[in-house]
Amino acid sequence: MTAAHDAQPTLARRRRRSAVGNIAKLVGLALVLVWCLFPFLWMAMTSLRGGAIALTDPNILVGPFRMTNYQDVVGQGFHFALRNSLIVAGVTTLIGIPVAALAGYTLARLPLRGRYLLLAATLVVTLFPPVALVNPLYRLYLEIHELVGINLLNSYAGMIIPYVALTLPLSIFILTTFFASIPTEIEEAAKADGATPWQAFSKIVVPLAAPGVGAAAILTFVYATNEFLLAYSFAPRDLNVQTVPVFIGTFERVGYENPIGQVMAASVLVSIPLVIFVLIMQRWIVSGLTSGAVKG
Amino acid sequence: MTHSTPPVRRHLGERALGRIFLTPSFTFMALIALFPVGYAVVMSLYAIRGFHQDFVGIRNYVDALTDVNFYSAAWNTLVFTVASVTLEFVIGMAFALIMHNAFVGRGLTRVVILIPWVVPTAVAAQVWRYMFDPNPGFVNSVLGTDVNWLRDPGWAMVGMITADVWKTAPFVALLLLAGLQTIPRDFYEAARVDGANAVQRFFSVTLPLLRPAIVVALLFRTVDALRMFDFAYIFAGYSNSLATLSVYAQRYLVAEPLLGYANALSTITFVLVMVVGLLFISRMGHSMLGDTVREVKR
Repeated sequence: MTAAHDAQPTLARRRRRSAVGNIAKLVGLALVLVWCLFPFLWMAMTSLRGGAIALTDPNILVGPFRMTNYQDVVGQGFHFALRNSLIVAGVTTLIGIPVAALAGYTLARLPLRGRYLLLAATLVVTLFPPVALVNPLYRLYLEIHELVGINLLNSYAGMIIPYVALTLPLSIFILTTFFASIPTEIEEAAKADGATPWQAFSKIVVPLAAPGVGAAAILTFVYATNEFLLAYSFAPRDLNVQTVPVFIGTFERVGYENPIGQVMAASVLVSIPLVIFVLIMQRWIVSGLTSGAVKG
Repeated sequence: MTHSTPPVRRHLGERALGRIFLTPSFTFMALIALFPVGYAVVMSLYAIRGFHQDFVGIRNYVDALTDVNFYSAAWNTLVFTVASVTLEFVIGMAFALIMHNAFVGRGLTRVVILIPWVVPTAVAAQVWRYMFDPNPGFVNSVLGTDVNWLRDPGWAMVGMITADVWKTAPFVALLLLAGLQTIPRDFYEAARVDGANAVQRFFSVTLPLLRPAIVVALLFRTVDALRMFDFAYIFAGYSNSLATLSVYAQRYLVAEPLLGYANALSTITFVLVMVVGLLFISRMGHSMLGDTVREVKR
């Protein structure tokens, strides 16, 4: 009986059911939005609350609201940390993506023995826990300093080099699947018209791989702005190189005062550019992931 | 006759090009990943005090494996990993299904769920730590509870898992959404005609076809949870109550330097993450790597 009803619902029933379904979907969407965004509201309101009240009253709507937390945080040099993070993440992406694109193209296209093994090997590198790199790299940096005179501790390069290495595998993987999904015929046609392998790569394949390149670039950039352990180990105190996660994650208490307002002000200041970044890049990340790494 | 020369030359050119193209990435990865890990294994066999290094064989490993605090760190890591990955998967799946089926606001929601993911973990950890902090007591006042979320180890773990789930469930949702979008609509129609209800359609159509995306999401999340440092360190510093294996190893690198011992701990963490990761990759091998390579060979 019910099976027959389900198979052929009347028009009215179908309409009623879809109305109920739509309301459920709207409620679901609203829940997703609130769950994702509420902590940001809390953060913004707390960053504006001044004095002892922010420490004692959990109600975020109770003032007085002031900008003093922001002045304090900038006074402690937060804008330098923001600049450092931007440089480290930007340079990591600028180095990592071209290097990964070359490898991805090779693995997807060029005749090479042991391709499967190489691809599997790169994927294994994504598993490396940063904590296993802290002490060996620290010692390596010290030895390089002694032998060559280049100091990688408390330098941008000391963070950028490991970040490039650790983000390469995933970028290579995404780009390999992307290059592999581009029909070879297009390239062959270009070569038949007299293009060299390099021209076929740079003029034909790279533009077609743009969504994969975009997704890999975003993942690299986000990893590099996010990383805490290596940045904390190699560039902990110096504001000339300290990145945002280290600044926020190791916020110093001054005296007995709880720095809650200042930490939240710093959090707001770093969130704003990243939210703008997401707004601009969201298409890339969604399309890059859809057709690349998780292709069903 | 003249026809035979160009293909041969092109072939050689491509091989050489391939080697040149692969050199920079593999040099980077070998220098910064393989070499240091080998170095860590070597150092883990020494007792290191200042400039003195005494070879002690596997004693650091024996010490670690007979240390109560090591097991507490391993337990914390296990609890955190199992709980957060499970919750992230369930919540991420719910998010993905909501977004996939939504008739309005899909684009907006997609942007919004990317925001927690893009914010640095240090920021997420601080925001949630202060929300849980009983002074001012925001979470307590919302829930009407009177719990010391940061001092009580069990509740602190709950707080930390909540923070991690908040930050990464959206990303899991995005990976699953990307997978959902590749499932053809006809499959659902066919199941509907056969009389399958929504729940049956989910288990007989969605889950099996979503398997590649699920394996990728679980791989990334499990491996990340096993080596997690930031949340535990920001919530509780080096204290044993929340210390994960990474935090515990870092404690002997920095706070109480015992470098040989620290390297033994980081090597154990490394092996654990590798074993779990390789289990996933070997399962994934056929569905993903295999496809790529087969496509390449064609």
